[in-house]
Amino acid sequence: MTPAGPVLSLRGVTKSFPLADGGVLQVLDVEHLELPAAGCTVIRGRSGSGKTTLLNLIAGVSAPTDGTIVIHGTEITALPEARRDRFRAERIGYVFQSFNLLPAFSALENVVLAMMFARAIPRREQRPRARAILTRLGLGARLGHKPGQLSRGEQQRVAIARALANDPPLILADEPCASLDAATAREVLTVLLAVCREAAKTLLVVSHDEAVLAAGDRLLDMTTINARAEAAG
Amino acid sequence: MTPVTVVWRYLQGRFVTSVLTVVSVALGVSLVIASVLLTRGIKEAFIAGATDYNLIVGAKGSPTQLVLNVIFRMDAPTPNIPLSTYENLRSDPRVEVAVPVAMGDAYQGFRYVATTEAYFAPFSWRRHVPALLTGRLFRNEAPERPDYEAVLGADAARRTGLKPEDRFYEGEEMAAYPLRVVGVLRPAGTADDRAIFISLGSYWEMNEISRKAMIKPLTAVLVRPKRLSDLPALHRGWNVGPDLQAALPSAILLNVFNLLGLVEDVLAVVLAVVAVVVGLYLFVTMYNATLERRREIATMRALGARRATVLGIVLLESCAIAALGGLAGILGGHGVAALGGSLLAARGGPVTQGLAFSALQPVTFGAVVALGALAGLLPAVLAYRTEVAENLAPL
Repeated sequence: MTPAGPVLSLRGVTKSFPLADGGVLQVLDVEHLELPAAGCTVIRGRSGSGKTTLLNLIAGVSAPTDGTIVIHGTEITALPEARRDRFRAERIGYVFQSFNLLPAFSALENVVLAMMFARAIPRREQRPRARAILTRLGLGARLGHKPGQLSRGEQQRVAIARALANDPPLILADEPCASLDAATAREVLTVLLAVCREAAKTLLVVSHDEAVLAAGDRLLDMTTINARAEAAG
Repeated sequence: MTPVTVVWRYLQGRFVTSVLTVVSVALGVSLVIASVLLTRGIKEAFIAGATDYNLIVGAKGSPTQLVLNVIFRMDAPTPNIPLSTYENLRSDPRVEVAVPVAMGDAYQGFRYVATTEAYFAPFSWRRHVPALLTGRLFRNEAPERPDYEAVLGADAARRTGLKPEDRFYEGEEMAAYPLRVVGVLRPAGTADDRAIFISLGSYWEMNEISRKAMIKPLTAVLVRPKRLSDLPALHRGWNVGPDLQAALPSAILLNVFNLLGLVEDVLAVVLAVVAVVVGLYLFVTMYNATLERRREIATMRALGARRATVLGIVLLESCAIAALGGLAGILGGHGVAALGGSLLAARGGPVTQGLAFSALQPVTFGAVVALGALAGLLPAVLAYRTEVAENLAPL
């Protein structure tokens, strides 16, 4: 059961990186950001505006320098790393710009891997579930194919299936169409929005692609979210 | 899907590299196993073939040569000694048993050993008594009217294909003296397996020099004293003269073992270097694989894999390569040892076929897997420390 209130809440979140000369570069300064449950929120921003850094912080793959991030009532910034990993595996799906499929594994195995790490779905149910998701995304005939044997559009659909594997309430997508041609990008975007709406997922997409910006329910600009957007850029 | 499946897919994904690494580990392990089995086989063969006789009297020269030739049928025979040496020993009141032995030529590489029935006698102090598998022993006939009967050791019978009642000789000049097989011995795991035993009478008649010169030469006399306290005096006494020597087989065996010990020490250093080289190769393979896979590791971590999980996957892969190489190496090492043992045996060398399961196999396997874990440790830590955000940057 998803708790009432915002799915995602960021307060006073900053991210800084140490520099070789001993100084510090602050690339992110988000005073306040909330995301309502369900629907598709698109954050636009030009390259280097801190979009990916923001997604990485929300996904918990990197820790903020300061501030709190709350997802579905859980303050992930207060969790120890191992619990944060577990939380991410179970509650967050991540779609990468470069797909990041594991080349040694088939499409089906790439999806099952996400379930293996989360350990939320019983092992005997993992393969049937992965098969069902991939079939829903039009890849029923490609289950045994390795990423190298799939087109880029198919690879991104496998990545979407992987993000949905553990039925997470929150899906993060980092420039999901940036590596695709226009026609394939449209096709992938349609699929991503459809499955998220169908399953009432909260989708947060960062992009500077016009087609993506137009498809969202809510549009935010990095310059209004990140006080350091100009500096980062 | 489990971490084992993940490792298996990775091994398949880098098939050529995986196979080459497994082969490298297997070659190193084969070398270790074959070396240990062969040195152990040689030692065991020396122990198993050690004589129950305390003294060997032969011609003056190298006592090691005398013992190696008379007991283990290695090296060239020492010069002949007269039959009177045997007669003197037999009549010595301190001697319980004296057995004359004359080393002859060979048939298809299996040496003729001329002796008397006493060689096969089941004295109570004998650990190994040569026993017949089939047929009977040759007769102690009158020397001037030999029966030309032969008793074959187990290997000699198997390799030559000779069986009781078969007649054989080697070389046209020996056609007038065909030997007849009358018995075959049971396998004993000693040099007797590779011998063809004949009577002294047959030997003296077959030997052109002894026939023409009317002499009855021997190679050595095996001696068992009645009391062990008489052994030093007998040993000293037979070493005084200018033509004869008495050798203590146990002392010679000790010398041989000391030499083998030196060889083992050198071998241990070589094998240690091999282990280091194999470990380094495995380390480099795993290190490169981990560097190449940093993006994949970061992806796994982004999907929720814990640091310990990716560390475990790398360690498991390294151990799996080592285990596969270890298994192949143990099997290969036994094959090489069997081949080496056969070649050595065919050339008259003492070696047992050490194919029995012992602590060697599990200890070697465990050591190889531990080496795999050690070689994979640093790459595994590298995987453990992989920064997710840094390595997920778009390509």
